[in-house]
Amino acid sequence: MRRRATIALAAIALGASGVGAYQLAPAPAEQAAHWREIAWPFPRDGWPKGRAFRCDGACTGAELYVRAKRGFCNCDRGVADDDEVDRVADIDLISPRLSAMALGEEVGIGDMRGRARRYDLDMPDGARHAAIGIAVSRRCELIVAAALGRGDVSAVQRAALAFPETQEMKTWATAALDGR
Amino acid sequence: MISRVRLAACLVLFACSTAAQAQKQQVIGAPPEASNMKLVGTNDLQARSAYQPTIHHQGDRWIAYIGHHGGTDDVPSPVNPMTGQAEPNGTSIVDVTDPAHPKYLRHLPGQEGKYESGGAQMVRVCDGKSLPMGDPNAVYMLRTFGSQAHEIWNVADPASPVLVTRLSGLKDTHKSWWECDTGIAYLVSGAPDWRTRRMTQVYDLSDPAHPQKIRDFGLPGQEPGSTGAVPTELHGPISTGPNGNRVYFGYGTNKGGILQIVDREKLLTGPKEPTPDNLRYPEISRLPMSAFNGAHTTFPMLDMPVAEFAEDKDGKTRDIVMIVDEAILNECTEARQMVWFADVTTEARPMMISSYTVPEASGQFCQRGGRFGSHSSNESMAPVYYKKMAFIAFFNAGVRALDIRDPYHPKEVGYFIPSITSATDKRCIPVEGGARCKVAIQTNNVETDDRGYIYIVDRANTGLHILELSGPARAVAGLPKN
Repeated sequence: MRRRATIALAAIALGASGVGAYQLAPAPAEQAAHWREIAWPFPRDGWPKGRAFRCDGACTGAELYVRAKRGFCNCDRGVADDDEVDRVADIDLISPRLSAMALGEEVGIGDMRGRARRYDLDMPDGARHAAIGIAVSRRCELIVAAALGRGDVSAVQRAALAFPETQEMKTWATAALDGR
Repeated sequence: MISRVRLAACLVLFACSTAAQAQKQQVIGAPPEASNMKLVGTNDLQARSAYQPTIHHQGDRWIAYIGHHGGTDDVPSPVNPMTGQAEPNGTSIVDVTDPAHPKYLRHLPGQEGKYESGGAQMVRVCDGKSLPMGDPNAVYMLRTFGSQAHEIWNVADPASPVLVTRLSGLKDTHKSWWECDTGIAYLVSGAPDWRTRRMTQVYDLSDPAHPQKIRDFGLPGQEPGSTGAVPTELHGPISTGPNGNRVYFGYGTNKGGILQIVDREKLLTGPKEPTPDNLRYPEISRLPMSAFNGAHTTFPMLDMPVAEFAEDKDGKTRDIVMIVDEAILNECTEARQMVWFADVTTEARPMMISSYTVPEASGQFCQRGGRFGSHSSNESMAPVYYKKMAFIAFFNAGVRALDIRDPYHPKEVGYFIPSITSATDKRCIPVEGGARCKVAIQTNNVETDDRGYIYIVDRANTGLHILELSGPARAVAGLPKN
């Protein structure tokens, strides 16, 4: 049941992207993802800290960092291109040495539309990791998410897109976007 | 009995809080709030949201060219009463020769679109006779056309501008700089292939009819094909021309600001291919700011004598850059955006030395509605105020006059907060289940002219206010008593 719900949420989240969404998320997860909240691991910057999670289950070991950013300048156009994802999605918090792997795709979380893109990260310890940057907007506000994969990247991406659709995260995101 | 007392106490508290709330908010019909500044004249600018004013002495006239943001949700294209037509916000051209009676000459429509997605925000003006290859009978106005293009118009007859040049194909524009004696322009553009929304396109506009591209410029990591984190986008540059040989670039808006000091000659003549090495080549240094603050305006004031250091063997004069952040969120829902002074005398090691903000409690500005914080300063380097006074647009706290003769200790000596009118647009914040809106002045930009008049314009559609100093503030600038 839980797995079905996760798949359904992912399908809703990716619904707008059509073929592109399929390319980003080629296969359903074999087991459910469970995100366990951990401490926000990054030093303070210009945006208020967000929430950090570590995955058990389908994306074991993956980490997800979610933030609200109020004061996004492209109020009318929204997250219209991949460069915008590069700029805002917080991938650089994990490692500033990032390379996009491919063109991004349109995604949605709830009513908010935006884009997701995959990256290769060179970590300080010399390791290379896959990551996914997600940015969706509501007028002049953003919800951004950066997911650091440690396994199947497609599964991580599906789980990263589905998790913000949970009621708890939607409630948190609405409050954060409203400045509450 | 106890419950009646409680009820009465609650009513008194409610009445007091309501009265206090009412005091915080501006009301139509109330007089302006002022200290050592007074109103000379106004123009409603057709109730268009205003950004950059530039005042130009043109023959025996003084003309104000005022850039506009796009329209609002309620009124995307206000009606121009001079034509009877709904026109997307563009450029207002106002004769301010008699500042007590400004005369609106022309509205030049801009790009369709609301707020920052339309209009024609930026404007600079150069005489054809000062440009090396300009038509000596022409007066050239450089403006943005929304996010799409830069345009040059001949405004020799300011009521009848004629389009000269259009540089289009951009994804954004902003606050450019144009050297009137050389024609070199630093255009804030969004080149389609760059990874940032705003960077610099350097042009030779010495012959405005035939623009010559010199190069693209930005921070390494913004250029096409680069990887890694994308540095903060450009807000605007100010050049000191060939004599000063420096260009001061301000990056960021309300976060992660950077002051970048650039060797102008190397920028213009150095290798132009936008590789990381070539982009670094003209850079002298950077001053990274707090993640809480951005750099809207980076205004250089070089070789300033500082009275406190007059007896010192070295360092009697200092090179100062005033950095103004831009507040972008309503009702103080961000870190305070304010004014910073950097000592860049030792260019490789610039250092912040002082700051200025309006005390919030002096007007309960976080409760008034709209933005509170700095946005921009005057950019005129005319002797009347240069290195003596600076004027800061502070949104709902109006304009602030600063004595900056000692940049280590800037001091406010005057202010003016215009009255709101029926044209003043509301500003809202999200609340549970909807939005709560308030109406407040939003002094957006400020400029001065060589006569000493101060021009402020409102982002919330309240128009243009022309001011002059009064009282002791005049002495700071060396102006005679009035």
